[in-house]
Amino acid sequence: MDDDVNVENRIEKEIEDKITPRKELDELQERVKELNCIYGISEIVNDYNLSLGEALQEIVELLPPSWQYEDIACARIKLNGEEYKTDDFRETEWKQQSIIEVGGELKGSLEVCYLEEKPEMDEGPFLIEERRLLNTVSDLLGRFVEERRVKKQISDEKQDWEVIIDLLMRTDPKTLLRMTRKMVYYLYRHENEQISMLLNDVCPIEPDSDTPKWCGINMPNPKQDLESLKEIQRGVFQIAKDSLEPEEISELFHRWLKEDKARPLLLASQRKGIPLVEITDELNRFFDKADANTALAPEDKMAIRTALIQRFFTDRLEFINIAKNYIQLDDFVSLLKRLIGPAQGAGKVGGKTSGAYLAYKILQREKDRHTDLKDIKFPKSWYLTSDSMLDLIHYNDLDEVIHIKYLDPDRIRQEQPFLEQIMKNAVFTSEIVEGFKKILRDIDDNPIIVRSSSLLEDNFGAAFSGKYKSLFLSNKGSEEERLNALMEAVAEVYASTFGPDPIEYRREKGMLDFSEEMGILIQEVVGKRVGPYYVPAYAGVAFSKNEFRWSPRINRDDGIIRLVPGLGTRAVDRVGNDYPILVSPKRPELRVNTLVEERIKYSPRYMDVINLETGAIETVDAIEIYKEYGEKFPFLNKIVSVYEDGELRKPKSFLFDPEEEDMIVTFDKLFEETDFLLLMCKIMDILESKIETPVDVEFAHDGDNLYILQCRPQSQTQQIKRKPIPMDIKNKDKLFSSKKFVTTGHLENIEYIVYVSPEGYASLDSERKMRKVAEIVGELNNYLPEKRFILMGPGRWGSRGDITLGVPVKYRDINNTSLIVEIAKEKGGYLPELSFGTHFFQDLVEADIKYLPLYPDESGNIFNEELLYRSENRLTEILPGQEDFEEVIRLVRVSDISSGGSLDVVMDGEANEALAYLRSPDHWEWRMNKVETMADELDPDIYGIKGLYIVGSTKEGTACSRSDIDLIVHYTGEQEKKEKLENWFYEWDKKLVEENKNRTGIEVDKILDIHFITDEDIKENTSWASHINSRYRSAREIPLDGSDS
Amino acid sequence: MAEEGFNAFKMAQKQFDRIADKLDLDEGTRKILRKPIREYHFNIPVKMDDGSTQVFEAFRIQHNDARGPCKGGIRFHPQETVDTVRALAMWMTWKTAVANIPLGGGKGGVICDPHDLSDREQERICRGYVREIYDELGPDKDIPAPDVMTTAQHMLWMMDEYEKINGSKNPGVITGKPVDMGGSLGRTEATGYGVIYVLREVLKEMDLDINEMTASVQGFGNVAQHAVELFIEYGGTVVSVSCWDQEDSCAYSYFREDGIDLEELRGITDRFGSIDKKKAKEKGYTRRSGEDWIKDDVDILIPAALENAITEDNVEDIKDSVRLIISGANGPITPEADEMLEEMDIVVIPDFLANAGGVTCSYFEQVQSNQNYYWPKEEVLGKLDNMMTDAFYEVWELAKRKNIRVRDAAYMISIDRVAEACKKRGWV
Repeated sequence: MDDDVNVENRIEKEIEDKITPRKELDELQERVKELNCIYGISEIVNDYNLSLGEALQEIVELLPPSWQYEDIACARIKLNGEEYKTDDFRETEWKQQSIIEVGGELKGSLEVCYLEEKPEMDEGPFLIEERRLLNTVSDLLGRFVEERRVKKQISDEKQDWEVIIDLLMRTDPKTLLRMTRKMVYYLYRHENEQISMLLNDVCPIEPDSDTPKWCGINMPNPKQDLESLKEIQRGVFQIAKDSLEPEEISELFHRWLKEDKARPLLLASQRKGIPLVEITDELNRFFDKADANTALAPEDKMAIRTALIQRFFTDRLEFINIAKNYIQLDDFVSLLKRLIGPAQGAGKVGGKTSGAYLAYKILQREKDRHTDLKDIKFPKSWYLTSDSMLDLIHYNDLDEVIHIKYLDPDRIRQEQPFLEQIMKNAVFTSEIVEGFKKILRDIDDNPIIVRSSSLLEDNFGAAFSGKYKSLFLSNKGSEEERLNALMEAVAEVYASTFGPDPIEYRREKGMLDFSEEMGILIQEVVGKRVGPYYVPAYAGVAFSKNEFRWSPRINRDDGIIRLVPGLGTRAVDRVGNDYPILVSPKRPELRVNTLVEERIKYSPRYMDVINLETGAIETVDAIEIYKEYGEKFPFLNKIVSVYEDGELRKPKSFLFDPEEEDMIVTFDKLFEETDFLLLMCKIMDILESKIETPVDVEFAHDGDNLYILQCRPQSQTQQIKRKPIPMDIKNKDKLFSSKKFVTTGHLENIEYIVYVSPEGYASLDSERKMRKVAEIVGELNNYLPEKRFILMGPGRWGSRGDITLGVPVKYRDINNTSLIVEIAKEKGGYLPELSFGTHFFQDLVEADIKYLPLYPDESGNIFNEELLYRSENRLTEILPGQEDFEEVIRLVRVSDISSGGSLDVVMDGEANEALAYLRSPDHWEWRMNKVETMADELDPDIYGIKGLYIVGSTKEGTACSRSDIDLIVHYTGEQEKKEKLENWFYEWDKKLVEENKNRTGIEVDKILDIHFITDEDIKENTSWASHINSRYRSAREIPLDGSDS
Repeated sequence: MAEEGFNAFKMAQKQFDRIADKLDLDEGTRKILRKPIREYHFNIPVKMDDGSTQVFEAFRIQHNDARGPCKGGIRFHPQETVDTVRALAMWMTWKTAVANIPLGGGKGGVICDPHDLSDREQERICRGYVREIYDELGPDKDIPAPDVMTTAQHMLWMMDEYEKINGSKNPGVITGKPVDMGGSLGRTEATGYGVIYVLREVLKEMDLDINEMTASVQGFGNVAQHAVELFIEYGGTVVSVSCWDQEDSCAYSYFREDGIDLEELRGITDRFGSIDKKKAKEKGYTRRSGEDWIKDDVDILIPAALENAITEDNVEDIKDSVRLIISGANGPITPEADEMLEEMDIVVIPDFLANAGGVTCSYFEQVQSNQNYYWPKEEVLGKLDNMMTDAFYEVWELAKRKNIRVRDAAYMISIDRVAEACKKRGWV
């Protein structure tokens, strides 16, 4: 749908919503007030501990709240010369009065006054319903006094619920009807026979027939007239009275009346797109009542809950199904206190918030069962609804930015910085600004992070991980400065919606036209102040499935954690010059790096911190900070190990001297001596099983508590079936092989190889040229056939930071490739780092791009680089003008180096082995061989065959992996033999299809295409027979065993 | 990487045959020395953390113990082959013999990849190893040490298991222990200092004044740093050291005409010997490409970092001023380059003589452990000096007398010593 239409529709709808249903809701509110009153009175009159005077005083107090303007309503009962009144009672000109008769005599009156003037309604400022209620109450009072006088209990004569029924019949027939229905269900559920009969009666009965007629499923039931309905009502309650204990009925009535109070909320929640302000009011009103939590029937509760989940979180059924079990009604009250958005808007909180909130609720719930989870915390969070973004756009007349997504990617790239400035200079509406102020008051001056929470995010299996911005704010300075910083950050996150990378990603996922709305999640940053810095002890991201096993002994289900000291930014992003600690939470003892030297080399050296003095995020040398602040740094002795005498030792708690010792970040003590890993396993197990999908959880620890920051479904490739490495490949055809960090996958018919020469890249003398290489790769990515090429190059593709270590490509530069090979030459000087777990790797997984690190210098690995230099570089053919980069980037057409063949890559993760090899075009040969074998086995006499011919691609030698084998069979024409023959070919075809699949991986429905011809056909030269006769379209005859020719 | 068909043991045998020819060894001695005297091939069953059992194939090769108990490391490697272990055991025999310490040669290995094993599992492998060949180990039989992918920790587990079975304390069964667990002081210095003890004597013999000597060193790790330390202490000048740069992932050499200040450089060097580029520049060092160390106008080259540092490709870069090359690293000179150096009239002190300080110190560790009496560092280094000096002179004298290369003389002396021991024992 076009965005404009979308917006218009919404506005129209909002106006509609505003006019009509509001009135209904108000009315409903009044109904509830009445019910409260009646319910209250019926309780009072049944309380025999109260004296008459006390009872009347309580009743008079109950009255004003039931009137429309309850704040200015007051009431008085005059009876037998006594007065019972509310404290503020004052007789005014806005008065409603009703008389009280006891035993037929006038004994007093009941009055309700408004203390101020109000608009004219049905009876002065009063409503007609209020008159009805007033009369009902005075009537009740009369009888009550009478009964007290004769010292006779009301209940002797009438049950309290009967009183209620009486009241309802007069004041609120609709409510009575609902009560009746509930009673019917109740009785029916208790298998009350009489009620079954009564229900039968409700079914239409032909007047002149004794047998009940078919209450047709497909026929509308006849409607009962009103009188007979009343009759049925009476019948129902009679049955109830006969078959149930009075206490039971009484209790039921009380419950139902209470439940009925939630009706406005129920109805409000069911209204699609109810404005924020209304649903907030409704919820608050409901929960203001003391008995709010017990007042709801379970099914109503569920209905409201699901509706609210849908309203605020997502329409996705999978989510709702799970969330409804964990997110309670009162949760919404607290959620809404922290929700900011246009009052009349109907925005949602977005994917990230939904995920985080659900995880929070699930874990909260599980805390009861798992006491070890009790110290897990969640950062203070606030939410900005998704429509706040459109609100900002409309308010500032920036509507044209929505269309930017349809521009050419290059233009988007050009316009992005400008657009960001425009957004940052836009003005928020005052209601949103007020909301921001509230957040800032609430949070004091702790640093905050502004995270995107897009509606598309985490939807459709497409994790928009890291596509949109998340911004840290030190949140220091005057109130105004802090407010401005927050608003600018939100605007910047909004602007990132229109960035080239997310738009490209959306284009690819077919989500471009879907209107992107961005919710915002604002969280307090988890951390402690250390010197001028604000920093968590450690942070990271945990995945419940490990897609990257460094040891065959680690299972996919063991999960993986990527851990860094300081802010988690370094764990989710790929950083060029540093390494996070990777650990398998269920197998921590199986380390990625075993030898001390390796462990030190691949340990994190830097950490990201918030500098509270400059307000900036800084990357600092972790060890220097540790040395400077020593054990003031939270959790230090759990983070580092001490290097001594060639060994890494866990710091001794007492004798640990950070200033003196040679510290290395290993987290050894954290893993071995705390329950951190156990806890993470548990958290992931719980979340994975409850959310029913593998999850990815971001967390941080401030030295005291572990905080869960985010949770979303883990992006993953579908389980790919393992294919063994072919053993019969000649060495000269092998392009490369690897025996380390192999994931499972299988690529075939690769047509191009984009090779960035490690030496060439290293020799580039400027950053500009390196970026140019990334650009060229990006252009090739657009030009080359999708998924038909692979990228090979030095070091870490897509690395942030030191780009000399790898081509600084972005997702959009590589999204069409089928495989990325990272070459780690020891001499070339590139240290491989596992990219697993970073956003970049996530992208690869999501886009089904395979990843393989190649260690050509390690024993047993092959990298046949000369193959890539065997043919000419096709780079400038495709991108003329890039002659300068021919030394660095080689574009190799695989058919050039394999005499027309293609490249296959088999990756067997189980065996931890991969092989890429050239495959010559052998499809023709294979087919020809098969035809000859068939001919050998075919007995011409049994099947009545006179001749067998081959035509088409197999005969021409152009057959490819999917080609048919066209055979012309000249047969005698006997039907019986033909059927036999057809069967025989059918069996062969099955075999061929299977075999072809095994050797090429390509599955086709059939390979054999058999055309039968007879002598007749040949004589008449019909189409297939013409192949045999024609000199040009000649078919080749296949000699048959046993045939004479 | 092991080339297809490359067999380390065959190579070691070939080398032996060449020297044996020169020594004119009898057939019987050759037969004994060409092959290990004893081999143990055994399987170590290990209960893994997950409850399963794995069986690891292991070896202990005792090449020769005519001169004393076997000495040699235990390697953990997934691609371990028995022939590699055989070759390494043989080289240990020659090494202990050239240093003239009363030990033989051995080597062990377990086919396993520590990357796939937890610490606990590795401990079980170590203990299992000892249990399987307990009878063949011992301070008076065969003394293991750390090697590829094994550390002091592995050795302590082995020692503990041995002592448990033996029911007594026998720290001398293992070397390479931490100092507080029966290790020897001076171990860090031993190899680097050993190089310079030998160098000092060579210079004397060559009639050169160490105070006037300049040197260029490849490497700045443990061996190089200690070699530089002692060389400067003796009055020499080091104008260049090279190191691997972690950040740039390449080697650089740092040059200062008037000589480097060791303490200054150590202050800006990390634990793996990477020198801080910026600070080095501030302190007046010129940063050059890693290969440039060899091109310096110096008297002495000390390759103390990598294998194959001097090859036929760069041997011609060596300036005429260079008189002497002394190897701190293992195998820094390729055989082809070695030949060319001879033509260039440059004296080469081979690795297994020059860096024998390491194995000598292991011997001291063992002696101290057996005595349960530990020497001060000065005593260790003093004794080391004596041993190295003596070892050098025996080789040097022979080389001079017979006018052969120092390398060949070293081999001949060591093989001859082992052959003699076999004869004296009446084995042949």
